[in-house]
Amino acid sequence: MPAHDEEASLRATLDEVRRTPAGPDYTIDALVVDDGSRDGTAEVARQAGVPVLRHAVNLGVGGALQSGFRYAVERGYDVGVQLDADGQHDPAYLAALLAPVLGHACDISIGSRFVARSGYRAPLARRFGMVLFSGVVRLALGQRITDTTSGFRAYNRAVMKVCQFDFPRDFPDAPLLIALSRRGFRMREVAVEMRERQAGQSFYTFGKSLYYPYKNLLASLMAWLQRPA
Amino acid sequence: MHFLSRTQVITALGALALAVLVLDLVRRRRLSEEYSLLWLISTAVIAVLGFSTPVLSWITRTLGILGESSTVFAAGLAFLTAMLLYVSVRMSRLGFENHALTRELALLRFEIERLRARAGDRPGAPTGGGEGA
Repeated sequence: MPAHDEEASLRATLDEVRRTPAGPDYTIDALVVDDGSRDGTAEVARQAGVPVLRHAVNLGVGGALQSGFRYAVERGYDVGVQLDADGQHDPAYLAALLAPVLGHACDISIGSRFVARSGYRAPLARRFGMVLFSGVVRLALGQRITDTTSGFRAYNRAVMKVCQFDFPRDFPDAPLLIALSRRGFRMREVAVEMRERQAGQSFYTFGKSLYYPYKNLLASLMAWLQRPA
Repeated sequence: MHFLSRTQVITALGALALAVLVLDLVRRRRLSEEYSLLWLISTAVIAVLGFSTPVLSWITRTLGILGESSTVFAAGLAFLTAMLLYVSVRMSRLGFENHALTRELALLRFEIERLRARAGDRPGAPTGGGEGA
């Protein structure tokens, strides 16, 4: 669970995760990656008894995930799930998200708001971006991924092994999906409902909203051009 | 042999000053040898272009440039572009390295806290041997 200045909502999210029942063939362990928070994020996690990796400076979601993958790979976990600390993602969907990965139907499963009609309405600019990058991914992969920005995903061990060293730095979405697909990993979308964030600041700010499409288009193109290592 | 023109004197002094500055920065370890090479090459180019009228006019004619001064400016711009691109590349690499180090540090810090907790040693407490394993 990547977290940056999320002390207000982290506690509730962790409680929710802890209340989530394990499945017949898996147990759930939580990990918080505190990505250079200036508030009590790490303290909240520690009080909840959840292990915390603390970045000395803010690296961005991508960096936080990378640390998480490294941790999971080193400790022999089979699947890693990425879940926002702000309460947007309901852990009740964990089982649905895990099922295709545990069943080896795919390597990455993506919790998507749009597979099923949900009540989610994004701001106009963001909707445009979502449609754009969904199109970019579709063009590159020949596969329809409706929710490329979803931060609710499950990755199997093979994916985590690759990603612990090689990962987009700031925001892991369309370019990452393209890069992973180029390496032969299969992905699948799972319908989830997302809630409004409970507290804290979104990663999207105005400055980023201008830079982000450019960066993402370029990175997508590069991911598509790069030969898989 | 004719006397040096004013431009030639200024160029020579400028190039010399730059060379001395670069070498001194290297001596005081404020500039790495790696960067100094690029700077010294540029100093040499300034010196040659500014000092030797025949070389400058030959280059100008060969490249089909209209005026000699344009050649000097073009050389300067080329150098600046190369230097900036090089610095950008280095900065990107430093960024990647920084990124990796920060992640590594987080994992190490976690391990230390875990080991400390296991040893019954509270963080911030004066260091003493942990009691038991």
